[in-house]
Amino acid sequence: MSTFVEKLRQYSKPGYYDEFDYHWTMTIDLDRCTGCEACVVACQAENNLPIVGEERFAQSREIKWIRIERYWEGEYPNIKMGFIPMLCQHCDDAPCETACPVYATYHNQDGLNTQIYNRCIGTRTCAVYCPYEVRYFNWFTYTWDEPLEQQLNPDVSVREKGVMEKCTFCIQRIRIAKDNAKDDDRRRVRDGEVVPACVQSCPTEAMLFGNSKDPEAKVSKMMKNTRGYTVLEELNTTPSIVYLKKVHA
Amino acid sequence: MSKISRRDLLQYIGAGGIGVAGGVLYGEGVQRKVELLIPQVIPPEDYSPGVATWYNTVCNQCSAGCGISVRIREGKAKKIEGNPVHPVSRGRLCARGQAGLNVLYNPDRIRTPLQSADRGSENTAEISWDDALTTIGSRIGRLKIEGNAGRIRLLTGRTRGHLDELFAQFMNLLGSEHYQQYDFTYPSALAAANKTSFGTDVLPYYDIENADFLLSFGADYLGTWLSPVHYSLAYGNLRQGRQGQRGKTVQIEPRMSLSGAAADEWIAARPGTEGLFALGIAHVLVSSGSYTGNDRDEWSSALQAYSPSMVSAETEVSEDTIVRIAEEFGASTASLAIAGGATAAGTNAVASVVAVNALNHLAGNLGKPGGVILNSAQAFPAAAGSSPAGLQGALDLVAAMQAGDVEVLLVHDTNPVFSLPHNVGFRQAMENVPLIVALSSFHDETTAMADFILPTNTYLESWGDDVPDPGVGFPVTSLSQPVVAPLYDTLPVGDIILSLARQIGGELPIHMPWASMEEFIKDRWREEYDERMSEGQDQNFEAFWQAVLEAGVWGQPGAAAGGQPESSSSPTIAAIADPVSKFAGDETDYPFVLHPYLTATFLDGRGANLPWLQELPDPMTSVVYGSWAELNPVTADELGIEEGDVLEIESPAGSIRVPAFIFPAIRPGVVAVPIGQGHTSYGRYASDRGINPIHIVATLMDKQSGDLAWAATRVKVTNTGERLRIVKTDGVTRTLGRQILGPGNDHG
Repeated sequence: MSTFVEKLRQYSKPGYYDEFDYHWTMTIDLDRCTGCEACVVACQAENNLPIVGEERFAQSREIKWIRIERYWEGEYPNIKMGFIPMLCQHCDDAPCETACPVYATYHNQDGLNTQIYNRCIGTRTCAVYCPYEVRYFNWFTYTWDEPLEQQLNPDVSVREKGVMEKCTFCIQRIRIAKDNAKDDDRRRVRDGEVVPACVQSCPTEAMLFGNSKDPEAKVSKMMKNTRGYTVLEELNTTPSIVYLKKVHA
Repeated sequence: MSKISRRDLLQYIGAGGIGVAGGVLYGEGVQRKVELLIPQVIPPEDYSPGVATWYNTVCNQCSAGCGISVRIREGKAKKIEGNPVHPVSRGRLCARGQAGLNVLYNPDRIRTPLQSADRGSENTAEISWDDALTTIGSRIGRLKIEGNAGRIRLLTGRTRGHLDELFAQFMNLLGSEHYQQYDFTYPSALAAANKTSFGTDVLPYYDIENADFLLSFGADYLGTWLSPVHYSLAYGNLRQGRQGQRGKTVQIEPRMSLSGAAADEWIAARPGTEGLFALGIAHVLVSSGSYTGNDRDEWSSALQAYSPSMVSAETEVSEDTIVRIAEEFGASTASLAIAGGATAAGTNAVASVVAVNALNHLAGNLGKPGGVILNSAQAFPAAAGSSPAGLQGALDLVAAMQAGDVEVLLVHDTNPVFSLPHNVGFRQAMENVPLIVALSSFHDETTAMADFILPTNTYLESWGDDVPDPGVGFPVTSLSQPVVAPLYDTLPVGDIILSLARQIGGELPIHMPWASMEEFIKDRWREEYDERMSEGQDQNFEAFWQAVLEAGVWGQPGAAAGGQPESSSSPTIAAIADPVSKFAGDETDYPFVLHPYLTATFLDGRGANLPWLQELPDPMTSVVYGSWAELNPVTADELGIEEGDVLEIESPAGSIRVPAFIFPAIRPGVVAVPIGQGHTSYGRYASDRGINPIHIVATLMDKQSGDLAWAATRVKVTNTGERLRIVKTDGVTRTLGRQILGPGNDHG
């Protein structure tokens, strides 16, 4: 018990997470984003997201770790559409983490907001606390029509009924890159070595992913762009995703 | 122990691998099946458990020809990504391309050759390959001997590379001139207009990436036009790829597409007058002195009639807007105008595209960065020169079928019963054909009419090669290879043709001696290699072949594509004509213009059987699983229509019933319906879902290109009083001051 308390004290000390090698960060340039949804399918393929069917879709039980939100501005004929990809913001001060009664969701040393499926008991509190609405609950154990299951990514577990899930920043790809770095006797992975599925697929190169603890990383430079902002900043969740707003000429 | 083939072995190993991940599925009382693990005596090439292998090949989900890399684990395809060294996809891929895995592992694939008991039903019986090929081969062989080979027809989708050559050769050797292609998405009008303006109908490379001002007349270059993945990255770089310089885009179309949403300015001109809009801009460019070429006087007299005031009255776009856009277009260093979509689908489609090409002439952007860069017809792989024949080709085929001139119809990779208007009568005409053979991976509306269905490998299980069209300004040839062993008792389409050739006999097997498509392609590549390699150079074809196979693509980035642009603008000037489209149905009886549009997910309906795409919210409306009809909020209000009200949309050619969706970015008086749903026979994910708007399109045609004028139908809309729930993900569609799109970008 004492070690637990010690660790808790250590972890809650301000600046504890600053001492680690990584802080995974994403930038999304809305001036490049066209709302094409290539990222949505990339995520579906990479992370074994289920096909829920029309009926369950109608009940808002779809599971899409990344989605494109669309907002209209103005009225015809002076009307504009704004797209914004919405996924887990991996907040440094995440409301969902404080809510979980069983620590199924917690913050790891890399700055990721992590979900431990076999710890989750399905209270769904985290989904209520999340202001970005990016947590998805498995109301059913979904199956795949044979032989669609042959496509499933063996690096990612398939979730079952009663478990909350969400974007992991493709933690399996981070894992592989770290293993490769270790095999090469490198302390850190190189910039650009970790590419989540959505970032990889993006046809307009709107998304960028990297370690913001590395000042030379592309993402660190992109974050400083004057167009940069975080969504719902006033809630002080400190998201790890920086959006670059669209330029209105 | 009985003999185990490599394919079986891979499947067993795959089953073992799934057991772990699938364990959680058994929680619901499913008994675990007994699985046998068979040790590998000789492991297949490139195979080690737990290690992923990537194979490069070519996407076949649309005609762009993107290079793809497929991730293989334990003999199963796991993920498709863009091939980073391929100049078309440049490492990127769209939603449709990634859903290729749903094609390969689709539960509704045809697994064995089938013989149909009665047409139009699902009543089919399995038949062996030998029996099927013997029956079909002897039937075709008899026609050939009798000198009736002209009664044999081959209809395919858009086909390029050596498969196209194989088809052409097969039909030639038979003695039939009737090999034709039909693809709803093929831009016939664009090709015909470019033939006039630039002297070649090979699609040019539009250098969007380096343009400063992009003026798009209906071309949804980010979703469905020509090469969406390539143009998406080009768009991204147009916006943010150059330091301190952001290109501007303007989109002219009656209903906002993805490209319209991305544009700085979206203008809904009166449907059918988009070409006239282009001439109005051209008029200003010339009259304001912005254009300073030698042939200014010729332009001036050709464009005299199209003054801003006249164009403004016709297009219902203000004079100020026309003049302002013309000024910006003229003042930009690299201006580019493109045409597609509804602009290239009126009764005067070619004239409209010529009008847009005139802008490119006036901007002087031919062959320049940020302009129109011509591709030459590439000599390798030998271009057989087949391109889809549009509505005219389909009508000719229908007439021949009705007249009883067709005895054998071979159909591959095209679904004309679905993607032609009902009035064309393709399905009814097919009933007059004594023998229909479908070479297909899936049951669809056209294969349903077949007597024999020969199941083909999907593109992920086949050999092939391809020349991307449009090209990228320099010679490129892609090579595709099977990335997994065939799942079922299917054959590559090339192998089926070669087997038929052997079956028919005579001179066919002498001229087509190859055992398989792989052998044929390799043989042709070797010939080409030997020809190009001069003496003294290292002649090692195998090494070259391996290198291309690994890269998935062969290209010569340094070499210009060869095509010298037709620098003279006189053909364009001579071709300037009144481009206003005519419509079927008069305005009093049919007050609305029907705007059927291609969606980035289903295209002309071919993607509707893929579950990932059915569950992908439509980019502009967020609707899934179904059809809808978009109406302007003001129009809907006037008619008392709300979302989900079932409308009856009636054209002179037929009617459909579809729920209404209130869409704020559509011109009043236009009703837009997405294409793609409405299949009656296309597997479990697509069948009996939504409606197909192509069916009620009137069979008007653009005379010059012979293409279907699918945007030239008027309709009337009545509220039936019934209601149907539209399944969508959107809730609140306004930001309501939450600054979600960024500080200062929130106008509520």
